[in-house]
Amino acid sequence: MVARHKMSTVKFSKIRVLETGYNTAALNMAIDEALIENIGEVPVLRIYGWRPAAVSIGYFQSIKDEVNLEKCSEIGVDVVRRLTGGGAVLHEFELTYSFITKQYPQNIMDSYRWICEAIVISINRLGFDASFVPLNDIAVKGKKVSGSAQTRRKGVLLQHGTLLLGVDVDKMFCILRVPSEKLKDKIIKDVKERVTSLAGTTFDDMASSLKTSFATKFSAKLVADTVSTEEISRARWLAERKYSSKEWNLRR
Amino acid sequence: MAAFPKTNQSGINMKRRAHNVYKSQKLIRVMVEYDETENAINSITITGDFFLYPEEALETLEANLMGTKLERHALKQEIDNSLKNSEVYGFDSTSLTEAILGCKT
Repeated sequence: MVARHKMSTVKFSKIRVLETGYNTAALNMAIDEALIENIGEVPVLRIYGWRPAAVSIGYFQSIKDEVNLEKCSEIGVDVVRRLTGGGAVLHEFELTYSFITKQYPQNIMDSYRWICEAIVISINRLGFDASFVPLNDIAVKGKKVSGSAQTRRKGVLLQHGTLLLGVDVDKMFCILRVPSEKLKDKIIKDVKERVTSLAGTTFDDMASSLKTSFATKFSAKLVADTVSTEEISRARWLAERKYSSKEWNLRR
Repeated sequence: MAAFPKTNQSGINMKRRAHNVYKSQKLIRVMVEYDETENAINSITITGDFFLYPEEALETLEANLMGTKLERHALKQEIDNSLKNSEVYGFDSTSLTEAILGCKT
């Protein structure tokens, strides 16, 4: 590990970039886990989307408390539990990233800031005025445009997060349950006031800016790559046996 | 909050299941089964949109809370002790204690 006080100047010689396209929720989470298992000294920046649209819930959440599973099934929305904490997210109009590395600040807050700074740079390169909002959000004019979550497994950090390119709060609450039906209208109004999107930004523009910003932030050369045969084989196994299973998704 | 009594053969309530939703920095949901006579936790599940590192610490906490009295001091002490080597974002031992005690009210 790299000591905390040195992290602001950490530079990677290379970053392996994987643009894995659109996948199901189970395979998306499985690829992240396979990349954690297979990570070497070179960190990985993965860029991806979700097809069909999906809801991911945080590691500690109860899927039945948070998600209307019947509605998801009816409209063809995938549901999956993440490896990471945090809240339920509807993945539809967005770019999702994952950053996986063996070198990172040990302090949790510092590590979120460290990676989110690259995300902030990437958003601002597109003409927005974004800033990091600890612990794990990025906002433009006070409204959330990006949320991230991370886990640490056997000395490897995975941080993944969303960059909202569009937002449909009404659909979100058609799928997500709220703690109180009586307060549902107020909750929806609050979310509409607190969340926005990077409207006018395409997936490709965001991906390009993200790559450039990670290269800049970490002074690294980007190496475009594909998921290896071994990694995709492991990911497919995890998608089928873990991330599609009731044991995992209904465990809380 | 809602509580669901279970009765023994004599019809006396011994065990209760109850849940509570508590807003701390993040939303905490607690489902607890407790022995009313002993005023102690039989089992507990804590869910929510919080962050806890390492993640496995939550299951350890839930296991350690089994048998703990549903009393403020005892709960807070067990939570503090169970999470002493963990980092939590979204609640603290005080708010989690209140979330658990809220199941009884």
